[in-house]
Amino acid sequence: MPVVVKWRYALVMTSALALAVSGCSSGSSDSSSAGGRKNLQFWFWGAPPAHQAAMKKILVNGFNASQSKYRLSVTFNNNVDQNVQVALTANRGPDIVYGSGPAFAAAYVGKGKLANMDPYAKKYGWKSRLLGPMYESGTVGGKLYSLPNSLNTLGIFYNKKVLAKLKEPVPKTFAQLTSVMDKAKAAGLYASVTGNKGWKPVNENYSSIFLTHDAGPSVIQRALTGKIPWTSPQIVKAVQDSADFYKKGYLAGKDYNNLNFTDSMQLLKDEKSPFFIGPSLAFQFATDYFNDANGNVDDLGFTSFPNVNKSLASPLYTLGTTASLSINAHSPNKDGAAEVINYMLSPSYAKQMTKVWPGYWGVPLKKFDADPGDFSGLSKQYVTAIQNMINTVNQGNFGYFTATFFPPATEQALVNIDSVWLGKTSARTFLDGVESTFKTELDKKLVPPIPQQK
Amino acid sequence: MPATEAAARPPRRIAARRPDTGATAGRRRARPRRRSTLTSYLLVAPAVLLSALVVVVPGVLTAVAAFTDWDGIGLKARWIGFANFSSILRDPVFTTALGNNIRWMLLFLTIPVAIGLLTALLLLTRPRSRTLYQVIFLVPYVLAPITNAILWLNIVYNPLSGVVGYANHHGLNLGEPLSGLHTAIYAVAAVDIWHFWGFLTVIYLAALRQTPVEQVEAALVEGANGWQLFRYVYLPGIKSTLQLMWVMIIIFSFLAFDYVWLMTQGGPAHATEMLSTYAYSFAFASFQFGKAAAVGLIMSLFGLISSFLYTWLSRKDLNA
Repeated sequence: MPVVVKWRYALVMTSALALAVSGCSSGSSDSSSAGGRKNLQFWFWGAPPAHQAAMKKILVNGFNASQSKYRLSVTFNNNVDQNVQVALTANRGPDIVYGSGPAFAAAYVGKGKLANMDPYAKKYGWKSRLLGPMYESGTVGGKLYSLPNSLNTLGIFYNKKVLAKLKEPVPKTFAQLTSVMDKAKAAGLYASVTGNKGWKPVNENYSSIFLTHDAGPSVIQRALTGKIPWTSPQIVKAVQDSADFYKKGYLAGKDYNNLNFTDSMQLLKDEKSPFFIGPSLAFQFATDYFNDANGNVDDLGFTSFPNVNKSLASPLYTLGTTASLSINAHSPNKDGAAEVINYMLSPSYAKQMTKVWPGYWGVPLKKFDADPGDFSGLSKQYVTAIQNMINTVNQGNFGYFTATFFPPATEQALVNIDSVWLGKTSARTFLDGVESTFKTELDKKLVPPIPQQK
Repeated sequence: MPATEAAARPPRRIAARRPDTGATAGRRRARPRRRSTLTSYLLVAPAVLLSALVVVVPGVLTAVAAFTDWDGIGLKARWIGFANFSSILRDPVFTTALGNNIRWMLLFLTIPVAIGLLTALLLLTRPRSRTLYQVIFLVPYVLAPITNAILWLNIVYNPLSGVVGYANHHGLNLGEPLSGLHTAIYAVAAVDIWHFWGFLTVIYLAALRQTPVEQVEAALVEGANGWQLFRYVYLPGIKSTLQLMWVMIIIFSFLAFDYVWLMTQGGPAHATEMLSTYAYSFAFASFQFGKAAAVGLIMSLFGLISSFLYTWLSRKDLNA
């Protein structure tokens, strides 16, 4: 081959590689117009196919039909948190940012990755429409950066048939709850069903329950604002009580690590236990087992978790969110992103989604004027549960869900509460670690605003 | 060396390849040679560039990040020296994870190696059917880890519908392997070993088949038994393959992640925590990329030691 040809060949090869590399680095955010409309991207977790279809129909088609300026598309992926994190670092990513909660949003705000949503809050009246503590949780330095898509709390799903067989009522106190669970164990049933198979953060549901219903919201509020240490006696007691609860087999006995929420709901349906203790978002798993086709919708009930500490107000709900919605600071279509968020925070969207996907779209409205009678299946119960929660939160009786109000590393530390449950460390030593982690995050201003109790 | 002799001898490389045809001829040939070298560099450039982008740049950045408080979100980070390393080394979870990685390595250096070697030796005497067996043994290896993990979680370890659940309900108490602080790591390792040993069988069989038939026949004629045949004929022949696989297993053991993450995510109570899951939690659950990078560097150190070990063993063999 002549030298000149070789030279050209090398040049072509190098150029091809450069093109390939530049192609690899291209971002995913595409703001180009399509049919005169601007594209909006929303990355969401890899929900089950039926739920994805519901979202496409109600959110994507609904939003696209509601206006003529934007075209929304949703991408479903189970690694959404990591994908969002990497994309935002590179100043790319979706227009509407799906996050794990206000605490994660706070971390992004510090790096200028999320847009200030104050102008949109004013335009759409979000502050007057949404629950105060939920709105506040999305602010950083007094400015709004995220809003929760749905309320989430921790409570007890119960099987009425099993309770009837055990001749026990729905427990109203902690003593009644443990008494029924002891009776269930004696009858060869699970005391309750739940488990962290495949998703270790399930643990934090139970750390949150004991922080709310044992230590109490006021103690946790002071700890989260740095006024008292995490090693305070009330918190040490709460963690120790959670360990005792686990050791007595009240969390699915020895099968806690072998069950997930789907397995647990199946066991509840099969009358293998009177209770499933967990988040209200588990309604979405319950629908597969308690539905009109099976004719057993009325067998399932949901109630708040009773207080371990009798001096606390009752009923008390752990206040949490399933996710948070923000606007990418580098989105060229921030107005469009805000319009989508506003669409998702509307009562009509909440109703439509709850009809087909109960558990994930309890929009944190101050007033959720929905008639449970208009819903079928478990959606009916979910609406009632959310309305009860909204009423209680409006009265100021709420605790703080770790996944929502705790900064990321502190939250992760509380996910590892199973070290205390399994006796690898003491409650006090465990909380020494939590305190040290929390102090670092408090100094870095990573703690989201903590709404005050009334 | 006498000066005249040195002057009389042409430069070694040129003399070896091309007789010196005089200064003019040398100058005439110099330009195409330089062009040829340039072309060679340009042709190598894509591979070098790709390696630099994919391996060197991220590697260097990770090493730098290990000494910062980078949170993985912005591009700003503060230089904090060895603070990440001292924090990690004080954390008892790190000790647990390192211990688990070492335990994992010892398990993999013995159990799948023994099974793989034994199976390869058995297949050596089955020239007709061994292809089919190799395909069957490789099936778990070619399946995606998520598939294998779900199979084991639901068919073997599930307390309701799995083999373990069935045995427990029928009087054979197998306990709850994934829930026990002392059994969880073996339960996860069992799945990874199940997926891995078939690969070792294929590698060892390929190496065993390289043994000269004359040596095997001579040993048999001399009356060698099976053990002697293996010890004195086959083993020396596959020694380098065994060494290579041992080194690779050591490296893999300190990178182990997929099966642990899919089955236990490091739990219960860190009983199956590995350096990789420990690093992953720092990076993606608590925005501590600096610490994650520090753990990554420590993991790389073990891989590096293994690589040096292998290089040393290879050179030792060559010199022997």
